[in-house]
Amino acid sequence: MEKNYYVCTGCGLLCDDIEVESEKNIVNKVYTACRVGVAHMKETRDEAGFRVDNTPVDEVTAINEAVSILKNAKNPLIFGLGNSTDETQKLAIELAKKINATLDDTSSFCLGPLSEALIQDKLKTCTLDDVRNKADVIIYWGTDPSDSHPRLLSKHSYFPRGSEKQRGWEEERTEIAIDVRKSHTAKICGNYFFQIPPKGDAEFIDALIAGLSGKLPKTSYNYPPKKLLELANILKGAKFGVIFVGRGLIYSIEDLEPLFKLMKVLNEKANFHLIPMVSSCNIVGFNEKLFAETGYVNSVKFEDGTVKHGPEYSIVESLKAKTVDAALIIGTDPFSILPHSIVKNLLEIPVISIDHCETLTSKHSKVYINTTISGVESGGSATRMDGVKVSFEPVFETNHPSEEVILKKIMEAL
Amino acid sequence: MELYQMLPKTNCKKCGKTSCMAFAVALMARELTPEDCPPLKEEPKYKESYEKISEIFKPSEEATETGLIVHEDLCFGCGNCVVACPPNVANDPYGVGSGNAPRNANKLVLTVEDGIVRAQNLGECRRFGKNKILCNGCIVTCPVEAIEFV
Amino acid sequence: MDFGSFLTTPEIKIKIITYRDIFQDKAMRENRFGEEYKNLSAVIKLDPADLKQLNVKKGDTVILKNSFGRVVVRAEESGYETPHRGIAYMPKSPWSNMLVSDETGGTGVPKFKDISVTITSAKGEKVTELSI
Repeated sequence: MEKNYYVCTGCGLLCDDIEVESEKNIVNKVYTACRVGVAHMKETRDEAGFRVDNTPVDEVTAINEAVSILKNAKNPLIFGLGNSTDETQKLAIELAKKINATLDDTSSFCLGPLSEALIQDKLKTCTLDDVRNKADVIIYWGTDPSDSHPRLLSKHSYFPRGSEKQRGWEEERTEIAIDVRKSHTAKICGNYFFQIPPKGDAEFIDALIAGLSGKLPKTSYNYPPKKLLELANILKGAKFGVIFVGRGLIYSIEDLEPLFKLMKVLNEKANFHLIPMVSSCNIVGFNEKLFAETGYVNSVKFEDGTVKHGPEYSIVESLKAKTVDAALIIGTDPFSILPHSIVKNLLEIPVISIDHCETLTSKHSKVYINTTISGVESGGSATRMDGVKVSFEPVFETNHPSEEVILKKIMEAL
Repeated sequence: MELYQMLPKTNCKKCGKTSCMAFAVALMARELTPEDCPPLKEEPKYKESYEKISEIFKPSEEATETGLIVHEDLCFGCGNCVVACPPNVANDPYGVGSGNAPRNANKLVLTVEDGIVRAQNLGECRRFGKNKILCNGCIVTCPVEAIEFV
Repeated sequence: MDFGSFLTTPEIKIKIITYRDIFQDKAMRENRFGEEYKNLSAVIKLDPADLKQLNVKKGDTVILKNSFGRVVVRAEESGYETPHRGIAYMPKSPWSNMLVSDETGGTGVPKFKDISVTITSAKGEKVTELSI
């Protein structure tokens, strides 16, 4: 029987095996997707909406107001795009070039440096299918996939059988969790859970490197050397090791040096790869496109054909220094995800919010345009957290415009 | 048995069984429900016991002959149990056995529907039947102990 | 014993670590302005000994304060076996973001996992509403 599979764009996993039952533009039942995926695909939809200054208007008025804001801005900011399709992202980059904007996405304060290192081939990576087929030792470092990417363990990393791993998780795979608290994932890893104190990651890495080289592993917090040596031995024996890195590790180290050192030693003794736990469905796509275009993955400013780059062009520093005078926010909610101490400056400039639902940001925007949920109401393609491209079709079409359509109209009017 | 202690123990036979002990066994085997005991349901002195027994055998929890209960409000829909379940893997090696959606959901013991795991076909579960074993695939793989066997 | 516990309203210094919670994420996607999202987000999970020192029962509200903001959230027991006095856990949410410092050292990365607050009983004050 031919099955119609849809793609869930709820998180960085982009699960492409979701069956959906729908009727008259309402999703009734979702099979196989996790709790978050189901909530994402079943999000209730109001009528298509456009607002200017909190008053409902029609599409043309909203677009014209947005265009006027962008035209009058000396240094506009375009931010978001982590949940947007490849087509939307391409348009946004073109738009940023056209209006000499600052362009940034959430990776500038999340896993950006790691994604950059992987795109530049400075660190070894692999696909999630490789993990399923070959991985025997897997580490979850500073991340809790059971809560953020619920199907990671069941679809790719621990439980499924793969072409070279046919005998099952009990016999052939070892899962290790390194974290500051006993998360849900750590519980599944059982005895292979290594609890370290907050900010203790850099020292743990040094101690692990010592252990891997046969030296006594020492940390200032007296982590039991015996346990560290046990871990080192497991890693040494890995035929295809994978480390899933989350923000817990990235925020704890000053820069990526400790990770580079660790991966170098691990690859001298064994065979290890790294995958970042990217949270949204197409952040990797944005990083790759911007890199291809400019040589940088985020935080850029376009100026009359040239590109400038640096942390000063990230959304956080731009808001702190108040260098931007208008903002086009696409598919994200800075008022929820950024510290209030920084994002409150966004209240002082006109904001255009393009999103599929009301958010804290849309409620405080001058212009709000309600768009489609990709994968449910509009199609396109996106890049999974491991760099694999996934295309998707909509389940049904509604009268909501897609982000792509809105950006096209804004660009035409400029 | 704890369950027997909560019954009237009068052997009135109104449920169709010869004794309250037989009724307790029938309750556990899902042949009868707490409502099948008229004194338990109707008499005020057994109200507390009736409520307790009804809690244990809540039909919406789909507790079954193998004693499998899913705590739906705890379930993540992560699919760990679906992919780890031995009969699931045996019946659908390239579907759920490889981590994907089921090729044919009707043959499976555990599936995920609307983000919550559902148990069915319990005849296939390894804990059921003549050659039953204490399989715990779905228990140890769950991050929140949403599946348990009573 | 720190001086804080001798005050009539004991207050302690706490470091907060944020984490992801699947049900909070689900509630956000269903209705981010609703009660369920608030109940799952405006929560802080403490070591039972810290709760005792604050004279707070689980389910009571507490005030979290530092130079960047002040929020009222519900206090719960963390349920972790290893004691962790002086460290508490909050789901990452607009509530936790009220307390994050604006110090970035010019890097563009706020100190999301390095939040220091003082915590006291809110004496019945209600949980802060979701707003800017």
